[in-house]
Amino acid sequence: MAKNIGAVTIDSERCKGCNLCVVACPLGVLALKGREVNNRGYHFAYMESPDKCIGCQSCALVCPDACIEVYKCPPTAPPKRGALAVEAERPDQGQALQREEPATETSAQPSNVTLMKGNEALAVAAIRYGADGYFGYPITPQSEVLERLEQEMPWETTGMVVVQAESEVAAINMVYAGASCGKAVFTSTSSPGFSLMQEGMSYMAASEVPALVINVMRGGPGLGTIHPSQADYFQATKGGGHGDYHAIVLAPSSVQEMADFVGLGWDLAFKYRCVSMILADGVIGQMMEKVVLPPQRPRRTDDEIRRQCPWAVTGRKGMRPKNVVTSLELDDDKMEANNLRFQATYRLIEQNETRCELVDTDDCDWLIVAFGSMARISMKAMELARARGIKVGMVRPITLWPFPAEQIRKAAANAKGILVPELDAGQMIEDVKLAVECRLPVEHFGRLGGNVPTPDEILDALTRGFNIA
Amino acid sequence: MNAIIQPQNRVYSRPSLLNDAHMHYCPGCSHGVVHKLVAEVIEDMGVAENAIGVSPVGCAVFAYNYIDIDWLEAAHGRATAMATAVKRLMPDRLVFTYQGDGDFAAIGTCESIHACNRAENIAIIFINNAIYGMTGGQMAPTTLLGQKTATCPYGRRVDLNGYPLSITPLLAQLDGTCYVTRQSVHTPGAVRKAKAAIRKAFDNSIACRGASVVEIVSTCNSGWKMSPEKANQWMVEHMFEKYPLGDLKSND
Repeated sequence: MAKNIGAVTIDSERCKGCNLCVVACPLGVLALKGREVNNRGYHFAYMESPDKCIGCQSCALVCPDACIEVYKCPPTAPPKRGALAVEAERPDQGQALQREEPATETSAQPSNVTLMKGNEALAVAAIRYGADGYFGYPITPQSEVLERLEQEMPWETTGMVVVQAESEVAAINMVYAGASCGKAVFTSTSSPGFSLMQEGMSYMAASEVPALVINVMRGGPGLGTIHPSQADYFQATKGGGHGDYHAIVLAPSSVQEMADFVGLGWDLAFKYRCVSMILADGVIGQMMEKVVLPPQRPRRTDDEIRRQCPWAVTGRKGMRPKNVVTSLELDDDKMEANNLRFQATYRLIEQNETRCELVDTDDCDWLIVAFGSMARISMKAMELARARGIKVGMVRPITLWPFPAEQIRKAAANAKGILVPELDAGQMIEDVKLAVECRLPVEHFGRLGGNVPTPDEILDALTRGFNIA
Repeated sequence: MNAIIQPQNRVYSRPSLLNDAHMHYCPGCSHGVVHKLVAEVIEDMGVAENAIGVSPVGCAVFAYNYIDIDWLEAAHGRATAMATAVKRLMPDRLVFTYQGDGDFAAIGTCESIHACNRAENIAIIFINNAIYGMTGGQMAPTTLLGQKTATCPYGRRVDLNGYPLSITPLLAQLDGTCYVTRQSVHTPGAVRKAKAAIRKAFDNSIACRGASVVEIVSTCNSGWKMSPEKANQWMVEHMFEKYPLGDLKSND
C-alpha cells in the first residue's frame, strides 16, 4: 500500500501562479488551478496528485513568493529552521555583539590655542567634537582637511573613521549612509565637487538625516580656477539639488569660526535632522590664524546613538521594529505630507537659527552686507570710510540660509543705500533686495574668476556707486 | 495526507524575517527567491539584530518592505559607497547591498569596483537579469548581443551598443575581494547552492575577510516577454554561455 510521506501547503492568496513550482516538482504533484483564481486573479498552485509528494522541498525552494510550506513524515533529517520557528514564536536572533567603546583621550593633540589654516581647523575641530567619520575626495583649495585628518590618525585615538573616497559622488553617499546610522559624519569639498554632491544632499534632505557638508569655494563655472570665490551662494542657499529643500548654511569669516561652526553645524543638524553646510571661500580655507580649539569630547556610544536617534539604522537590537531610511514615497499624499513636514522644519529653523553680526549699524548712513572673506575686507573699507567721515555700517550674515532679512531691514532703516560686495557676479544681492523690498538703492560690487578686491576697491565702489563726495 | 501536515513534520516554511507584505515583483521573478534566501540566511546566522541592508534603485528598491531588518535606500548606483560607510562606522554589523545590473554595473560601476578594491567587508548580492526591469525593459550593461530590449528593439549590436559587460570576473581580479561567485536560482539545486553562496558572503562580512560578490544570473520574464519557465530555459540556453555559473574566486 502506498504511503504518503510528504505534503505541502500553499498560501493560495500569496501565489502568483508563476508555475515554477509545478516545473520544479520531480514527481508531478503540483498544478495550477485551471479556472479558479485567488483574490488577485492568479491561477494558484495546488496539490493535484498529493499521493506522490515526497516532501523534497523543490517546489518551496524555487517559489519566488515563499508561499509553500513542506511537511515530511517521518522526518528524515533533524528539524531545520522552519521547525524551530514553530516552537519559539520568534527566535531571539543572535546576540548583539558587545563593543568596547574606544577611549576618547587623544594623545599628542595640538594645544588649545594654536596657529593653523582654516582647512586644518575644520579637521581638528571635527575630531574634538567627537566626529564618527569623514568621507572626502581631494580638491583644491580644501585638500588640507583630508590631509590633516590623515596626519592626526583619529582612528587610533577617538576611533573616528577617515576614508578617501573614489569621488565626491561616493563621498557624499558615504556621508548619507553614516548620517542614516545616526553618526556624526561629514565631508568637505570645493565647488566642482560640491556640484557632484548636490544629488546626495537632496536625498539627505528628503531622508531627514543630519550631516555636515563643507564647501570651500573656488572660482567657476566649470573647472574654473583654484582661487577664492563665493559664486556657489545660490547653489548652497537655494537648495542646489532637486526638489524643495534647504540646508542650514553657515558662513565663517575667520579660522576661529571655521573651528566653531563644525560643532555648531552638527548641533543644528542633529537638532533639526537636516544638513548643515559650512560655506567658506578659498581665502578662509587657506589663511592661517590663531584659533582656540574646543575641548576633546568623547564620541557617542552605540547606546547613546540608539537613544538620541531612535530613527537611525543601527540594527534591530532587541528586535525593535525595523528602521528604514529612504527618500522614496510613491504615495502622493504621503509625499506631500513629507514635504509639508520639511517646510515646517525650515520655518522653525528660520525662526530660531538666523544669525548675523552687526558692525556700527546704529548710526550708519550707508550699509554694507557681506559674508566670509568679503566681510573681513569690508571691515577695513569701513574703517577707511569712517576716517573720511562717511558713516558706514555692516551686516555680516553668519547664516546665509536662513537669511537675516529682518536684521538687514532694521539695520538699513535709516541708511541711504546698501552695498553688497561679493566674490561673484551678484548673488546674495538678490536676498538683500528682497530683505529691504527695494525701498532703498542696493548696489553690487564683485570680483570674479578668483580675484579678491582690496579695501580701497570696495570703498571706491561705495563712493562712486552712491555718488558720495 | 492531512495527517502529515502537523507542525512537527514541517521541514520547510517561509522565513519569519520575510514579512507578510505581498511582494510587488512579477510572477516568477528571481528577486522573490533571492529575497527569501537572504531572509533565510540571516535567520540561520541569528544576526537579524545586527544586519543592515542597502537596497538599490531598480526593481529591488522596495526590498526594505519585505525583509524585516534595518535598511538604507541608496541613490542609483551608490549602494556600495553607502555600505562602505555603514561597515566602517559599525564594524560588527553584517552589511550587504542588493543591486541589479543597471545599478551595480552601469551607473554604479565606479563605486562597485572601488568598494571591492578597498576590501570593504561587505557582501554584494548582484542580480543580473540582463535588462532594466523597473523602467520597463531597456538595455542593461549585461544585455546579451542580439537580445532585444526596449532600447535595442532589433537586438543588441556591437557597433551601436558595445559588448555585454561581464563585471564579476573583473572584480575577482581585485585584491580586495575574498569571494566572488556566480549562481542562479532556476532549479532547486541551484537555489540551494545560491543560498550557500549568500551564507558564505555574509559570513565573510561578519568576519571582515574582504568584499564578497554573489552574482545571481536571473530572469526577468516580463522584460524578456516570456513565461517564467520559458525565461528559465532561455537563461540556461543563452545567459550561461556569457555568464557561466560557479566560483570565480574563493579565499578560504
